[in-house]
Amino acid sequence: MRPKFPSPEWLNALSDKLNNDSRYASIASKWEADMTIIVEPGGELKDPLYYYFDLWHGKCRRVAVLNDPEEEKPVFVLTASYENISKIMKGELDPMQAMLTRKMKVQGNLVVMMRNVPTVLDFVRCAREVTDEIE
Amino acid sequence: MQPILRIDLSTRKIETVNLPSAWEKEYLGGASLGARVLYDSLTEELDPFSPESPLLILCGPLTGTLGPAVGRFVVCGKSPATGLWAESNCGGFWGPELRFAGFDGIWIVGKLETPHYIKIVDGEVGVHPADLLWGLDTYAIQQRIKEEIQLPKSRVLAIGPAGENGVVFSGLFCDHGRSAGRTGLGAVMGSKMLKAIAVKGSRKIPIFHAESFNSIRSASNRFLKEDVYTKVLHQLGTASSSDYSDYLGIMPKKYYSSGYFEGTGNISGSKISETILKGTSACHGCVIACGRVVDLGDGKVRKGPEYETLVGFGPNLLNSDLNLIVKLGEACDLLGLDTISTANIIGLAYKLFEQGVLNENDTGGLNLAWGRSAEAMELIKLIANREGIGKIMAEGSRKFARAFGVEEEAVQVNGLEVAYHDPRGASGMALVYATSPRGACHNKSDYFLVDWGQTFETVGVNYFLRQAGAEKAENVARHQNYRTIFDALVLCIFSNIPVEMILDLTNYATGFDFSIDELIAVGERSWNLKRCINIRLGLKKANDKLPKDLLTPLSDGGAAGYKIPFEEMINAYYDARDWDKRTGIPSHAKLDELGMSEIVSDFYPE
Repeated sequence: MRPKFPSPEWLNALSDKLNNDSRYASIASKWEADMTIIVEPGGELKDPLYYYFDLWHGKCRRVAVLNDPEEEKPVFVLTASYENISKIMKGELDPMQAMLTRKMKVQGNLVVMMRNVPTVLDFVRCAREVTDEIE
Repeated sequence: MQPILRIDLSTRKIETVNLPSAWEKEYLGGASLGARVLYDSLTEELDPFSPESPLLILCGPLTGTLGPAVGRFVVCGKSPATGLWAESNCGGFWGPELRFAGFDGIWIVGKLETPHYIKIVDGEVGVHPADLLWGLDTYAIQQRIKEEIQLPKSRVLAIGPAGENGVVFSGLFCDHGRSAGRTGLGAVMGSKMLKAIAVKGSRKIPIFHAESFNSIRSASNRFLKEDVYTKVLHQLGTASSSDYSDYLGIMPKKYYSSGYFEGTGNISGSKISETILKGTSACHGCVIACGRVVDLGDGKVRKGPEYETLVGFGPNLLNSDLNLIVKLGEACDLLGLDTISTANIIGLAYKLFEQGVLNENDTGGLNLAWGRSAEAMELIKLIANREGIGKIMAEGSRKFARAFGVEEEAVQVNGLEVAYHDPRGASGMALVYATSPRGACHNKSDYFLVDWGQTFETVGVNYFLRQAGAEKAENVARHQNYRTIFDALVLCIFSNIPVEMILDLTNYATGFDFSIDELIAVGERSWNLKRCINIRLGLKKANDKLPKDLLTPLSDGGAAGYKIPFEEMINAYYDARDWDKRTGIPSHAKLDELGMSEIVSDFYPE
């Protein structure tokens, strides 16, 4: 049984997936940036979550649940409500649609982001594939 | 709204005209109001280069108000390229300046005996000789007239040599390369021997509810500035989309015949930002500043390419030389050519050369083998000057290909060259190109972005898979209606603000009390009016089609293997529009529903 999103177990499962997925390894082979995903409270989620990913050349070098987003200074910060993140994980909301319709905020170097949209989309594919259930 | 000027260049009669207030409510302004104004003038028999042919320049109710990306105006008439409705809008500062001078538009008819330019300064209008200015490029003419009239911060809208020479894809230019490029209205202006229009004003633009407007104006600008899409456009320009567009198979290569080109990574918005970018440029009051300012290492400040120019002179020609792309785009701007059509027609020339339809005898010795992109510069000059092979290329891709007996090879719709958003990668563009009122235009509905995910649920524009078929037809029609509001206001399509803000801006600026549904109905009414104009100009249902290349699946790239189910899509579109599937005419009921009783009898006689 795959772990529930959001949970530390889910974060570790995603890290394993990223490190063992050949398609992601190929698409993200030139990616050199870390990022924090901020999940804003809503529904069952009472407090914000800060998930940190150190992503480098198609591998995930480290993940962490941060207590404070300022613990890391990542290249990218992606912020979305729990509701919209859940929709993305369920495949009900396309990640590009989320960005273009203001359902997900992006902070960081947009030059790098626009060059690597396929990497972001494949990251989301991996996340969806390790997500069995959403709390 | 303020009055518009009506200038008959033949008689030198200059008058001010107040347009019917009912039209303003039904069509708002810009291209939509322009269509209503010109409805009676545009006939199938009208020669776009005749003295009777109108050239109508209109602003919108938001132009120059410092709202969210509203510094635009539109030029309308009958296209010499398509023989159909022509409109092309333009940013910069010229439109706002015209409103500051006391006019919301200029309606030009007639023809001069010798070259002249029009000067408009705070309500005063004059027509001045331009014999010595004829032949100047679009940058030089702006500078020379500014020096001549000696009015600080005056603005000049002008044509280049291509417009003077009747190239059917020449445009009007202002503010260092801002252009109304499409549909060949530069040639219409040139046929009137009118080189330029200079404007200077110091008046205040009338706003119906000024205090409320200013409040929502500020809020919408703040909102727009924080939008992710705005930030992308600011940092990377419109070419920001190039990498992703390439990945999805939306970016055409080798004149729409290939899905893969190794050099695309060298010529993206990202690459521009990382290499030659020196700054940004913005239209009047715009917080986006999508314009690129680049330096190629020679110390000369140049306008950088937007997406269309980048792809048209890049992958479309199998060219990955970014510096050359900048120079090809600059040459088009200087000579007064639309880069989309110019690059398309040049791509066609390379294709015909490869096929053996053209040879070096035809091209004046130019070897147009793919990859020899420097030759494109020579073709641009030949086209603008109507010399050699350029004489027939200046007639547009349809006539160019037809002259060599291969009209079907031209990637165009109704005489307007297809822009660089391949419908095989974003299928909504199939309907957009086939049904746009001005030919294969990507701006009457930038639906490729909806296919990316830029939805507008409030007005019923939802997400469908990018290679979905007939099921997205109604969605395309809704998006066209929505974007037609932008053309009426004249609001930049990059202004990614909620429709509620657009509604408030419109109502406070005009004093109307539209609901969202009523506002969208203005868009739908305008779309149908332009359709009716085109029907009167000879458009048939058979014209709603795509060129064969776009209906042929690509063998590689992000859209490989996908065949557009065009017949199913267009039939569903007709259902969504309530257009007659036999004639292509909007139904009587649809025209009644939209309150278009004034023109119903033209199509359904009692």
